[in-house]
Amino acid sequence: MSGTNPVSRLNPMTWPLSFKVPLLVAVLMFTVSAIITNRVLARLEENQEQHLQQLASAYLDGLSASLIPSVFRGDVWEVFDTLDRSRERYRGLNVRWTIVTNAEGKILAASDPAKFPSDIVAEKSVLAHFTDGKEVILNEEKATAFLLRPLPYQDREIGKIYAEADIGGLLQERRDVLRTLLLTNLLLTLILAIAGYLAVLRMIRPVRIMSLHLDQASQGKIELIPDSVVMRQSSEFRRLFGRYNVLSQAVNEREFLAGQLAEEEKVASLGRLASGMAHEINNPLGGMFNALDALKKHGTREQVRGTSIRLLEHGLTGIRDLVRSTLASYRADQRPRDLTMADLDDLRLLVKPEARRKRLKLEWKNEIAEAVHVPAVPVRDAVLNLLLNACASTADDGNVNFHARVESSALIVDVTDQGGGLPAHVREYLERDGAGSVPLDKRSGLGLWIVKRLCDEMNGKLIVVKSSASGTTIRLMVPPKPAELKHAA
Amino acid sequence: MKEKLKKSPPSFAFTRRRFSSILGGAALFLSAAIARPTHAQVLSPLNFGLTPVFLTNDLELLTKLKAYLSRKTGRKVELVQRRTYEEITALLLSGQLDGAWICGYPFAQFRQQLSLIAVPIWRGKPLYQSYLIAPKGRVATSIDDLKGDIHAFSDPNSNSGYLVTASLLAERKLRPDQFFRKTIFTYGHRNVVRAVASGLAQSGSVDGYVWEVMSSLEPELTAKTEIVAVSELLGFPPIACLKTQRLSEAVELLHKALVEMSEDDEGRHVLNMLKLDGFADEPESLFDTIAAKMMLVRGLGS
Repeated sequence: MSGTNPVSRLNPMTWPLSFKVPLLVAVLMFTVSAIITNRVLARLEENQEQHLQQLASAYLDGLSASLIPSVFRGDVWEVFDTLDRSRERYRGLNVRWTIVTNAEGKILAASDPAKFPSDIVAEKSVLAHFTDGKEVILNEEKATAFLLRPLPYQDREIGKIYAEADIGGLLQERRDVLRTLLLTNLLLTLILAIAGYLAVLRMIRPVRIMSLHLDQASQGKIELIPDSVVMRQSSEFRRLFGRYNVLSQAVNEREFLAGQLAEEEKVASLGRLASGMAHEINNPLGGMFNALDALKKHGTREQVRGTSIRLLEHGLTGIRDLVRSTLASYRADQRPRDLTMADLDDLRLLVKPEARRKRLKLEWKNEIAEAVHVPAVPVRDAVLNLLLNACASTADDGNVNFHARVESSALIVDVTDQGGGLPAHVREYLERDGAGSVPLDKRSGLGLWIVKRLCDEMNGKLIVVKSSASGTTIRLMVPPKPAELKHAA
Repeated sequence: MKEKLKKSPPSFAFTRRRFSSILGGAALFLSAAIARPTHAQVLSPLNFGLTPVFLTNDLELLTKLKAYLSRKTGRKVELVQRRTYEEITALLLSGQLDGAWICGYPFAQFRQQLSLIAVPIWRGKPLYQSYLIAPKGRVATSIDDLKGDIHAFSDPNSNSGYLVTASLLAERKLRPDQFFRKTIFTYGHRNVVRAVASGLAQSGSVDGYVWEVMSSLEPELTAKTEIVAVSELLGFPPIACLKTQRLSEAVELLHKALVEMSEDDEGRHVLNMLKLDGFADEPESLFDTIAAKMMLVRGLGS
């Protein structure tokens, strides 16, 4: 039920494993790929810069070696010719233009004379990007490398080489590497996440099967996991399923035995009831036969006849009431109906033989004035069992108390005995929700188990109000039937 | 010592047999001495100088020319190349070359010491012109429009690549450095075209023959230039030798090979590559015009 709570949904601990593991794989892959991409790019950048530095140095070395004599002589053509030929030799550098100036800063020649004419001072805006002392300056924004090399001759600077190279290719290569890395990593992450999801789904499938069976079991229906499913699992789950099946079989057998026990108890109760009834019928029968004898002998006498007929009537009424209440309890028609005051009062008659046997005093207090919207038959069964149990627990000549009333539409019945009190495990059994599905241990008899089962069926509650050496009070609380609630609403 | 003297061979030991053997040895020595110069003569290479007047960057042409001259002269031919006209002219004047393809200007300069071996025939004549060129699209129709330029010359000893323009200026009583803002020497007519085409120079003086040949071989380069002015027809750069060597066997062989070039398949192939019709004997007066220009320029003191 926690899965439906929106707050707990935000808690990653509650997320399903089939989502968490692929997510974890994806996050790990992203992290790893981010680190790798970062390292690769940093290394690539380093290599490219190093490569560019080397290339630029080689270019400037080559140029300056061949240019120095020409610059020294101020030979415009030779300078131009050298620059023009170098274009073919240093294609890897992609030089946009090169300017060679003399000691006065005048352009001797440039690779592009139309843009940088000879014999004039180079424009400051052009030379602004170059810094003395720095041979290579990279400007990634402009995708340009600025190269500067002074031309020394006998410890004097006779001129300078300025060059601008296009490094767009290098940057493009870097971007391409980044894109390739990102795409590859994304694809890999996606594939791994999907693979992780499927793998986890496959791995937890046995858990889901087990969970499904446990859910069904909690709803009262314990089904075994089919052998074909068990055999498909890995060794761990095969073992687990096997144990579950063994357990389920044991529970089912226990249920079956419990059912049988209940039937047997019913028969035993019926026996006890029948003997009680026979005893109860037998008692007035003696009086009735005496009355018959009196009628036969002195039937002519008005007084004798009247007394005999009254005695017969009284005896037959007793028998009729007993038969009626028995029929009410055990008639085949078990249609649900509401509980009436008489339903409970009938029980007094049923318990009376047992009470009389033990010379118990039944203190009866029935405060139910009109029909209560609770199922009559199960309530009667439960209360009868409680009363019989109380009679059994109470020593001879003791008291058994019955008190029925209605509070907030719920039926409340208290049965008090004067026994030695309930053992702790019996008390825990009675008060635990849903405990009625399994019988109590052998020592405790089946009476209380039947009470608990009936109470659970009616969604009722059993409360041990008092349990001491002087006696026990057990309270049965039965809420109104749901249909009646609807009706009331 | 006496013993030793006694043991020395007697003079009468000079026998007929011994005499014959000495004679034979002498004959062998003599024959060897006579044979050696003949052998050396066959092996001594024929040194032929080439100035940058021509498209000297064409290795295939040089190979073919060398092969043709070697076969035709029956001598090993060495093609000697130098960066400047001056160097080739100096080698020729110092007798280190049997012949050289020089320019009309050096020939005029050293006319007293040099003789013509042959003169190339281009478009049916032993004549060519000097072109004043400028970058394509420039509005200029005469040298006067080129004032203040950076001007590209070929070589200070080139007729078409210097002298013609210098003499034009001399007519105006000007030296190139007074007329142009700056002058540069590119030491090659092709380089003049490159300098002008690239914009390094705003104008240039170039051999008309070279420009025309280039316009068919490298049209994309010449297309960036245009002709501003054309000189009168002048004597084509000749093949010359030292006057003292003119009648030598080597020079005669060279002369024959050149003049007969158009009659030989291999020779025609070379001529075709050179875009020339052939070589011919021409009078030295062909270079009088150039000499006159030289005198004009010298008169100005440049």
